[in-house]
Amino acid sequence: MLAAFADPVFDSQRNFRELLQAMARPAVPRELPNLPPAPVPIIPAAMAILMTLCDATTAVWLQQPNDETTCHLRFHAGTRLVDDPRDADFALITDPESMPPLDTFAQGEMRYPDRSASLIVQVPDLRAHAGAYFAGPGIRQTAQLAIDGLPQRFWQQRAAIATRLPLGIDLFFVAAQRMVALPRTTRLLES
Amino acid sequence: MDTSSHMARAQWMSLLAQAEAAELAAAMDAFAPPADATWLRPAQTGLYMLRGRIGGTGPQFNVGEVTVTRCSVQIGERIGHAWVRGGNARHAELAACADALLQDADQHPKLHEQVLEPLRHSQQARREAASRKAAASKVEFFTVVRGE
Repeated sequence: MLAAFADPVFDSQRNFRELLQAMARPAVPRELPNLPPAPVPIIPAAMAILMTLCDATTAVWLQQPNDETTCHLRFHAGTRLVDDPRDADFALITDPESMPPLDTFAQGEMRYPDRSASLIVQVPDLRAHAGAYFAGPGIRQTAQLAIDGLPQRFWQQRAAIATRLPLGIDLFFVAAQRMVALPRTTRLLES
Repeated sequence: MDTSSHMARAQWMSLLAQAEAAELAAAMDAFAPPADATWLRPAQTGLYMLRGRIGGTGPQFNVGEVTVTRCSVQIGERIGHAWVRGGNARHAELAACADALLQDADQHPKLHEQVLEPLRHSQQARREAASRKAAASKVEFFTVVRGE
């Protein structure tokens, strides 16, 4: 088994600050300051987000669970792991090519739009100032961001969900040490 | 792992946790944490809520909070855990190391002899001293027959 954050309280607080900032400024990649070790196939940045946001009161769904990752999460974060993606508060996508359709995950209820899933998606690379344009709250005019390794149907599914605002799904993408947030209010602009 | 060895492990974990920190440190002097030890969970201190029932029956209630220090270490393939009352991080670390080493069949006899046995004796001595002290202060009440 692997260790987690060297300093659980302060490391997760520093990461939490970055995650807040990432949600407030969508489509701008940021670096996570503290990365814990992580068992395959989870990358350290994705594990940092799980360790920061998850505990015994959150249900986590893993796309590719194995004994080591489930032991690791249960031991260090005490998370509840669920088999059905519909029950998940947080879902970790380790292989975006074979991920289930976005509308599988909880999108909240009209009274409680916060009861929705947040997805953490591991991608090969993230680049600012390249690729598609995004707009929405927290973005002055537009922001340009390229996210590699996502199937085309992913953006179609996301556009279909966007019509249901305030319901929806919030997304974190991670690659190496970098992380970018696309909350449900951020729109992909047609080029 | 069968139930009997579970029981044995529970007993040695209890013994290590209840030992005097200084005695445990002295006994574990020869078994310093090896270089390949990974601190899965460095010693951290927190509060646990103690719950109990008056007289061992009736509904549970919160007795109060107790300070507990926990620690987990991996030595080779084996993972040792410790939960120790109080805030002594060193005590929790040594108890976790001892727990990991005791699971190793090769090391077990040596640790049993050099760590567990001395701790067991001193724990027994402490218990006997406490019960002697209590017995010495025992008061016998004789009922005085009144009237008639």
